[in-house]
Amino acid sequence: MSLTDDMHAQGRSAAAAPDGSAMLRRVGLFVLSAIIFIFCVLPFGLVLAISFGRKIDGAGWVWDFTLENYQRFFVGVLWPDEVTFLYLQQLGYSFYFAIIASLVAVLTALPFTLLLTRLGRSAQALWLVFIMASLSLSEVFIVMGWDILLSNNSGLPKLFKETGLTQWLKDTGYFQTLRDWGLANPRNVKFKTSDFATILTMSYLVWPYAVILLYPALSRIDPALAEAARTMGAGRWTVTRTVTLPAIRLPLFGTTLLLFVFLLGTYVTVTVFAAPNKHTTAVAIYTNIRGANLNAPFGAAQAVMLLVAAGVCLYLGHLFNRRSEAR
Amino acid sequence: MDGLVLKGVSKSFGNTRAVEPTDLTFARGELTALLGPSGCGKTTLLRMIAGLEEPTRGTIRLGDTDITALPAHRRKFGMVFQSFALFPHYSVRENVAYSLTIGGMARARAHEKADALLETVQLGGFGDRRIGELSGGQRQRVAIARALAQEPQVFLLDEPMSALDAKLREEMQVELRLLQQRLGITTIVVTHDQREAMTMADKIVVMSNGRVEQIAQPQEVYHRPANAFVADFIGKANFFDGTYRDGAVQVGGVQLRASAQFRSGSPVRVAIRPERACIDDDPGDNRIAARVMFVRDLGPLREYHLQSDIGPIIVEYAAGETGPTLATGDETTVRLPPDALQIFPRAEAA
Repeated sequence: MSLTDDMHAQGRSAAAAPDGSAMLRRVGLFVLSAIIFIFCVLPFGLVLAISFGRKIDGAGWVWDFTLENYQRFFVGVLWPDEVTFLYLQQLGYSFYFAIIASLVAVLTALPFTLLLTRLGRSAQALWLVFIMASLSLSEVFIVMGWDILLSNNSGLPKLFKETGLTQWLKDTGYFQTLRDWGLANPRNVKFKTSDFATILTMSYLVWPYAVILLYPALSRIDPALAEAARTMGAGRWTVTRTVTLPAIRLPLFGTTLLLFVFLLGTYVTVTVFAAPNKHTTAVAIYTNIRGANLNAPFGAAQAVMLLVAAGVCLYLGHLFNRRSEAR
Repeated sequence: MDGLVLKGVSKSFGNTRAVEPTDLTFARGELTALLGPSGCGKTTLLRMIAGLEEPTRGTIRLGDTDITALPAHRRKFGMVFQSFALFPHYSVRENVAYSLTIGGMARARAHEKADALLETVQLGGFGDRRIGELSGGQRQRVAIARALAQEPQVFLLDEPMSALDAKLREEMQVELRLLQQRLGITTIVVTHDQREAMTMADKIVVMSNGRVEQIAQPQEVYHRPANAFVADFIGKANFFDGTYRDGAVQVGGVQLRASAQFRSGSPVRVAIRPERACIDDDPGDNRIAARVMFVRDLGPLREYHLQSDIGPIIVEYAAGETGPTLATGDETTVRLPPDALQIFPRAEAA
């Protein structure tokens, strides 16, 4: 073989090699797309498709294309004779609990995380490992713990009674205030069922996430910023208001939004701690799909509406983010 | 007097003493440079003056008022930080107006004053810009304008030039000095750059290991250093260790005549600035044979690195100055005039 032939042969094999890797890339892309489709798009597509299905009275449901389920979600099952907002109200409670719990989690995690960033490196690492470890606890496990802690017979109410705190509350008149807030029965304080217990547990559930999400932003703040403000006459609160909070505005908002969307789907906590008339869309979805109603199409429609609501919130957050960055 | 007076001020972090008990007086309208190597305690001292650190002991007085326990936000000493610490979420104008707006001044009036200050630091028209849009030098000017906005009685600067490139640093040193002289404000600058301190300061406080080594005017610190550390830290110097005996210092086998007085047999360190050593044929004391090891021509300066019986010696000639023309390997004689020798006591190695 001449030198020229050899070079041509090398050129051909070099040209063939990219073809092979391109083929491999295409196959990889196809497999990845198939996985995403099967595990992400298909389930959502199925839920969307089922949401247009029809419930057969006394039986299951059939594939169809009806907007009745969405109509029911907005104006109730009795429409047009009567308009009820039960399902919108459930969505409202989803928002109510998720907004307050995410705010409580972020607002309590913020000072803690600020303090955490001021600790030594090893202490910070220890705390972060501890907080990360707490993420391994499932919602069911956490709710069980709080259920025991807040139960009327063995938890905090019993402690209140045994220590005389209940009597003190009665003597000082605060007991009546607690009763007005639904946190006491005629005999003792009670936390189940209550908004307080629901929000407390939901906040507890996402609190480690709040710390972990806020930590990077807070640890990046230059301590000289606060010191500079102090030398210019700013007291502690003015520094927080005018320097620290604006500097972490976006991470703060992003964290709250993320926790809020996460909490929209909380199911076990609401089932255990919220009053039945304050159950959320997540609970209603379960009741429709797996519970007593066996109305999968309507449950699917509720799930789609919950997803849409979360999507709208994320989009609004994105708009806010862009506007803030543009400023 | 309205000056700032530190009396016995010290600071410890746990078992580590960052600043030894220090007495200092900063006269009104004077610019003082706290100069020393990293970790010498100069920034800690400045932070105690600003109220950002509490002294472990001692008192700080401004005029007749004891401000030792006064928190930073009530002292309102303008301070420029090493990182400038400009607020990224505010515009340039809002940064400069910060102390005024939080102090209750109407926004429009505060912004007007901020614009005037920006003019003072030659940044007129930059008010609406974001901090991220400014260069290092512009940021420094904003930091200066912001610190001056509250018309502080004392102006503090912590390594204000360290983030700037060499050329800009030189320009800003002159600008800052001119601005300080125009405003007549008591100013304290922390720096590890002796050139910066020499350029700007009325008075230099040289620090080492938390201790004040010398307080003097720049020229005095250079020409009459209090000890070997100062001689070494400020400018360049040749050092030789020896023993003092009868008006001379014995360095190895060579006797160097010196004008200082020490007890006979005392271990001493001899220092001489490179520009005070000579390579010439003039008769006189302290002539030592040497060989040229390296010649460095820096344009305005020409340095001869020599090896002699008492150790390496650097001799420096300014451009235009009459000096020898030597090359590497040449044999010559170096003269160390007795009046140019600075003799310091030396602790003997254990």
